[in-house]
Amino acid sequence: MAERVIRAGVELTPAEVEELELERPDYEVQLESLNQWQLAWRRFKRHRLAVVGSAIFLSIVAVGVLGPVLLHYDFRVIPHANQIVYAGRAPSWVSGNWDPPLLMGETARLQRDVFTLVVNGARLSLVIGVGATIISVILGALVGGFAGYFGGAVDWVLMRIVDSLLSLPLLFIILVAAQFLGSGSWFSLMLIFGAFGWLGLSRLVRSLFLSLREEDFVDAARAVGVSDIRIILRHILPNTLSPIIVAATLSVAGVIIGEAFVSFVGFGVELNQPTWGNILTNSLDFIQQGNWWWAFFPGFAIVLTVLSINFMGDGLRDALDPRARI
Amino acid sequence: MTTRLQPDAAPASLPAPGRDPEVILDVRDLRTYFHVMDGTVRAVDGVDFRIKRGGRLALVGESGCGKSVTALSIMRLIDQPPGEIASGEIWFDGRDLLSLSESEMRQVRGGEIAMIFQEPMTSLNPVLSVGDQIMEAVKLHQEVSAKEARDIATQALRDVGVPAPERRITQYPHELSGGMRQRVMIAMALSCRPKLLIADEPTTALDVTIQRQILELIKVIQERTGTALLLITHDLGVVAETVDEVVVMYAGKIMETGTVDQVLLEPRHPYSRGLLQSIPSRGRRGQPLHVIKGVVPNPFRMPAGCKFEPRCPYRWDQCKAEEPRLYDTGGGRSSRCWLYDPRFRDRMRRYELEGKDYVPPAAATELTA
Repeated sequence: MAERVIRAGVELTPAEVEELELERPDYEVQLESLNQWQLAWRRFKRHRLAVVGSAIFLSIVAVGVLGPVLLHYDFRVIPHANQIVYAGRAPSWVSGNWDPPLLMGETARLQRDVFTLVVNGARLSLVIGVGATIISVILGALVGGFAGYFGGAVDWVLMRIVDSLLSLPLLFIILVAAQFLGSGSWFSLMLIFGAFGWLGLSRLVRSLFLSLREEDFVDAARAVGVSDIRIILRHILPNTLSPIIVAATLSVAGVIIGEAFVSFVGFGVELNQPTWGNILTNSLDFIQQGNWWWAFFPGFAIVLTVLSINFMGDGLRDALDPRARI
Repeated sequence: MTTRLQPDAAPASLPAPGRDPEVILDVRDLRTYFHVMDGTVRAVDGVDFRIKRGGRLALVGESGCGKSVTALSIMRLIDQPPGEIASGEIWFDGRDLLSLSESEMRQVRGGEIAMIFQEPMTSLNPVLSVGDQIMEAVKLHQEVSAKEARDIATQALRDVGVPAPERRITQYPHELSGGMRQRVMIAMALSCRPKLLIADEPTTALDVTIQRQILELIKVIQERTGTALLLITHDLGVVAETVDEVVVMYAGKIMETGTVDQVLLEPRHPYSRGLLQSIPSRGRRGQPLHVIKGVVPNPFRMPAGCKFEPRCPYRWDQCKAEEPRLYDTGGGRSSRCWLYDPRFRDRMRRYELEGKDYVPPAAATELTA
């Protein structure tokens, strides 16, 4: 049993091997070795509502991506021009009139198919919601991260900027900005929501950094010679991921609602590019005439999306925390 | 100001700082202050010590005596503000670390001086895998590819006795026990072959059997690789097993220096004696355990004279009036006590006649009252 044991480039004597108990079997390592994503998936699966929520959200995304391609007619085309019904038609399953079959009814005036509108609206509403959230998460994480990590003057200046921006009546700023920055363009609307949406998030990230920068592992990283920027981005930021994900999902939902509102009051996306918000806008005049389906289905799409995102965010928060146990 | 900033007891025979190639770390008159709302805390107040290449030195003292701040000052990891390295020189391998730029200092940290922290449970980042953290240290200081970094990290884990390192490397800190995590910290510290290893209470958070393994590991690797060791601890048992030289600190100052045998077997300073008598031992079974009476002085109201005077059984008027300097007591030892001043040789002789453990009765009763 004269096996040579070499550690740190030097051969150890049997006495030293004994002393260090180097060859002791390690029982922990035998137990299980699922990787981080497998563990996260396992935790996520336990969260029933989150699984349902993400299934719904993913189908809405699929509808947004594929729906406009698969639908057999364009939303601008009047589908049943041969039957002129100016007042709009209720869904077939409500009215009992299956000629033509209408899943979500038909709008008054232009006789557009509500189902086609809602499906087409999904794409832009989701793109604006997710795009604006990505912008605001990046801005918020950077501003909050720098403020919280460096503290002192950096923190003071950045946070006073956030304070002053938060003191502005944001809704009016967004309305005015939407008007000036290419009114009616979904892209500028996304930029505007992104540019103003990071304020709350930066405060959240800052508070997380304030406590995390005192952690021992930050000192340990500095003692290894890691630079400040790298500590912020690679060592501390991943630790703030779960609250950021929760805040981001809420933000997606918030932006979708905000976009709906801005479009609803007439400052949003042009009417020839449907979003759930501007479909609602158009329906406004006709609700009193009994066209409930025109407002109900896009509204329901918003509610369903926001709810499913929130449930999904809840599940992600639990699943992505590597400290959480099964 | 000027008088206070005089170096305490730098004997004239010392070579110019940084010139002696045998000395890896030469700390001279280090003073680290913290400016807080209530005033200034002199956490480290004039500390001098040297470590030879491959040498082992321990900084010993109770909580709050400035030993960790000394280590963090060497690494330049003191937050400024509120901290301030008010004066001093830290010569490491021919350079004064205090004069380096921040980017030069980053190369020293981890590359040439590595540090192991007290709490293995919190010193590893919970969201990065063990391998990521070791590989990051490797990639920062060595020009290697990702695959080579992985090999180095695996070998580093194997070196510190982590079984199945190929699998361990993908695991996250929460999957490891405390002892394993401390091994990972040591692997990370040693992965770049540093010239100096600073271990800040490396075994305090571990249970006794793991403590011994970790100490043995540090010692074996330190001896074999020729890395110098600066051990920071309050545990005199750890000191006896691990190092060659000891520096005893109290209230930000050095109280006594010497080799481990000298200080542990024949302490000269009353504080070191108190520390040693406070260790439970088989020989004094049944007797009440000795304690050093009183508490560490409030950092905002330090005694004007000797910092240990309020708790010292040997004190007299002189101790209250003026602070002693670090007296050279021969044989490479020194002690910051008035008893070693030539003017008080008579008093010293009287204590010696009464025996080493003699405590003047008057002082003892006064302190218990």
